[in-house]
Amino acid sequence: MSRRSAIGVGRTRVPLGTVYVLMLLFLYFPIALLFIFSVNTNTVLTFPLRGFTLEWYREGFGDSALLEAARNSVLVGVGSASIATALGLGVSISVTRFRFRGRVGLLALSGLPLIVPFVVLGVSLFLLFNLADLPRSLFAIAAGHTVIALPFATLILLARMGGLDPALEDAAMDLGATYPVTLRRVVLPLMGPTLLSAWLTCFIVSFDEVAIALFLAGGDPTFPVFLYGQLRFAQRLPVLIAMAVMLTVLTVTLTLIAFRLGRRKP
Amino acid sequence: MLGRRGALRFLALPPYLWLAVFFVLPVLLIVAISFRPEAGPIDFGDPWTFSLAQYQRIWETPAYLRRLGMSVGMALAIAASATLLAYPIAYFLAFRARERAVFFLILLLIPFAVSYLLRVMAWRLMLGGEGAINSIFQWLGITSAPIDLLLYSPVAVVITLIYVWIPFAALPIYAALQRIERGHLEAAADLGAGPWSRFWRVTVPLSLPGAIAAFFMVFIPTVGEYVTPSLVGGTEGYMYGNIIQDFFTRAASWATGSALSVIMLLLTLVLVAVALRLIDVRRLAS
Amino acid sequence: MPARMNPARPLLAMLAGGVLLLSSCAGAEPNELLVLEWAGYDEERWWPDFKTANPDTAVDFEFGTNDADILAKMGAGSEADVFHFYTGYEQLYVDEELVREIDTSKLTNWDAVPADMQALGQIDGKQYFIPWDWGFSSILYNTDEVPEVTSWDALLNEDYAGHIAMWDDGPAAVTVSAYINGWDETAITDEQLAQIEEDWIAQKPLNIHYWDSEYDNLCPEVISGDIWIAYAWPGCYATALFEGAPVAYANPVEGRNSWVGLYGISTDTDSYELALQFLDAKLAELTCGTLVTDYYYGCANEEVMAAVDDPVLIEAFALNDPSVLETTNFTPPVTAEDRDAWTAMWTRVKAE
Repeated sequence: MSRRSAIGVGRTRVPLGTVYVLMLLFLYFPIALLFIFSVNTNTVLTFPLRGFTLEWYREGFGDSALLEAARNSVLVGVGSASIATALGLGVSISVTRFRFRGRVGLLALSGLPLIVPFVVLGVSLFLLFNLADLPRSLFAIAAGHTVIALPFATLILLARMGGLDPALEDAAMDLGATYPVTLRRVVLPLMGPTLLSAWLTCFIVSFDEVAIALFLAGGDPTFPVFLYGQLRFAQRLPVLIAMAVMLTVLTVTLTLIAFRLGRRKP
Repeated sequence: MLGRRGALRFLALPPYLWLAVFFVLPVLLIVAISFRPEAGPIDFGDPWTFSLAQYQRIWETPAYLRRLGMSVGMALAIAASATLLAYPIAYFLAFRARERAVFFLILLLIPFAVSYLLRVMAWRLMLGGEGAINSIFQWLGITSAPIDLLLYSPVAVVITLIYVWIPFAALPIYAALQRIERGHLEAAADLGAGPWSRFWRVTVPLSLPGAIAAFFMVFIPTVGEYVTPSLVGGTEGYMYGNIIQDFFTRAASWATGSALSVIMLLLTLVLVAVALRLIDVRRLAS
Repeated sequence: MPARMNPARPLLAMLAGGVLLLSSCAGAEPNELLVLEWAGYDEERWWPDFKTANPDTAVDFEFGTNDADILAKMGAGSEADVFHFYTGYEQLYVDEELVREIDTSKLTNWDAVPADMQALGQIDGKQYFIPWDWGFSSILYNTDEVPEVTSWDALLNEDYAGHIAMWDDGPAAVTVSAYINGWDETAITDEQLAQIEEDWIAQKPLNIHYWDSEYDNLCPEVISGDIWIAYAWPGCYATALFEGAPVAYANPVEGRNSWVGLYGISTDTDSYELALQFLDAKLAELTCGTLVTDYYYGCANEEVMAAVDDPVLIEAFALNDPSVLETTNFTPPVTAEDRDAWTAMWTRVKAE
């Protein structure tokens, strides 16, 4: 037992723990700065700090445009994550369980958005909606986000589908279940936690996305688009940071909850 | 009732259709528009004429391609740095943290959950003449006057983007390291390999796909970055993505912007193809 | 128990939601107004008179980031009923038939607008736009670091390398060069444009950065002393004065530039009457006055301007010095070819 623990994972000369802590400090320092800014009475971040206040948080909750933007981001995130996960599920099941002519093509196509820079996707969708005479809107943003999220969903779900024993599906069908029923009552429950993690990944990809959203936002901005427009006003920065902090807390909490749910064994 | 084969249609067709409409079609459109001669916004009602005028315009302005080269160079530096810096973190999570790995991973990802724009703004605050970094340096006596070059420069863009991407880059590396079976390492140890030797000859090669995935996941979006350069890049940090952005907003010459996009797309495809070739060669070599 | 994940239901819900979203973008109905505006002007303090007169009207905003963007959006079929842009682009809207003639007899505040401002919104004798906000463009400079600025060429002065900030705008760059060289803005030749491009490429390294957002990356740095010379509007001048920064606003020999913000009504609008009321309310005392006191911009209502008594603002608007206005150059309308050429030139300068 002790020999096992010494191999590859035992003590080496590299103080990895210290490296990790240093990295955390590096990552959190700007965040800490932002957080201080959000509870500082001054609208400019100068030291020494003037005073502690929660007024920015209060102001944030009263700002309807800000809350609307946050709501829009949630809408777009939920929409694009749901569609991307569903489509990714379709790809992963069809690619692992079936032989058909477009099989490799579908797989390749699902991964292709990964190699297209966001700015190109953004402007090309902008042109598409223009050509189709459709207005820029949250739907346009969601369409774009679905495309960029799909490779992630597919990758995550594919890995799980690959590990699923087809014998289970065969057994179900032998017992008289139709294929759709088999999918619904055998495959989907087994995929459950993975579906959730795929969905969450897609949501996170969409929620903070700004490069594509800037080209496709119409009258309703998502939170990052709104933020970008508000950066013109330096004195609004503390309020914006306050709201972003709230959103971060929300995102992290949701992730933790979902993680807990996902870890429960059948 | 829907047979097994029939269900395939419902599984495979929707993704195909969605990608065809919202991915393939737009890309084809942008290629098509790059061959239109108009400066200015495109009126789709106008007749379609084929012209190489946009590509000619780009050819006659070497500055554009120079910026592309610079953007690729910066993206390479950022992706390589983020991957290298993320590697020890991923290693820590995979081999040291074990039971607590999830907890440490979440700690790592929390900064990533903070809005990207605000993380960039935080760096603007820190790198500015009166920002945190200059204040600390002067207070420590390292410098006596603010370093003006920190902000509004390519350096600012590079630092900021490395910072933004490190947590994200750690994920595929961590996944790859996790998958390494202890058995391989045990066998190597049995054969007399010391810890460094085991690392270089077993761990690194087996985690390479993860590192390469991390590299590209950072590299591709970064080549086309325009948001961070517009906030902290100044006149020197003006990147290729900004040129495209300008041609679709400020300068509003969509066909020129499309041509620039096509060039970048081709370049990215070529780079990825080359990289895939290199990876295959490595696999064969080892 | 593992979570039973059936994606069908949430998927259907989302598709339904998407359809609803799409259908909601059907455009303004009779008691709604959609305004294509610049970020910040959506706040209610910029249209309180309209709000009071029409409390039940839903006013929605779409945002543009600069004049070219707003023109492109209107041209691309934006559903906006009303749009806001700045002098130089008037002809382009008329040429592309994006704007509708305004019936000034229905505007109660029209008589308070001085005649020369009214004329700015006219093309071929027809009133297409109403002026609202106006101001100067000139050079804002730090008096501690820079002796008196007397010419626009201060922006290209190598002595101040690293402390200059030019506005990120091609037409503005052409305008400045035209002033310095004594050229006619409406008749820039190709040789002149090539020279302008060279001059600004040489100027680029002198900038700390180009600014594109007054209160984001111009004013704070003027106040902190990082920027010594800037192409700027009076808003930042007044702000800096209020903060006690040692600044002055130049009266260059070539004359200051003046720009005017214009509102137009879209030809496609279903809410013409409401749009007219919105425009009329913009010129009303409270709305107009807020522009002066909050943003330190001028407003087209001369009664409001005459009532300004803050010495800082009087200084910023040169209200006490009519000679300034006499030498001021108002931005003329620009043709589409010129605009495309100038913005392309500027993009080349930035890429160089």
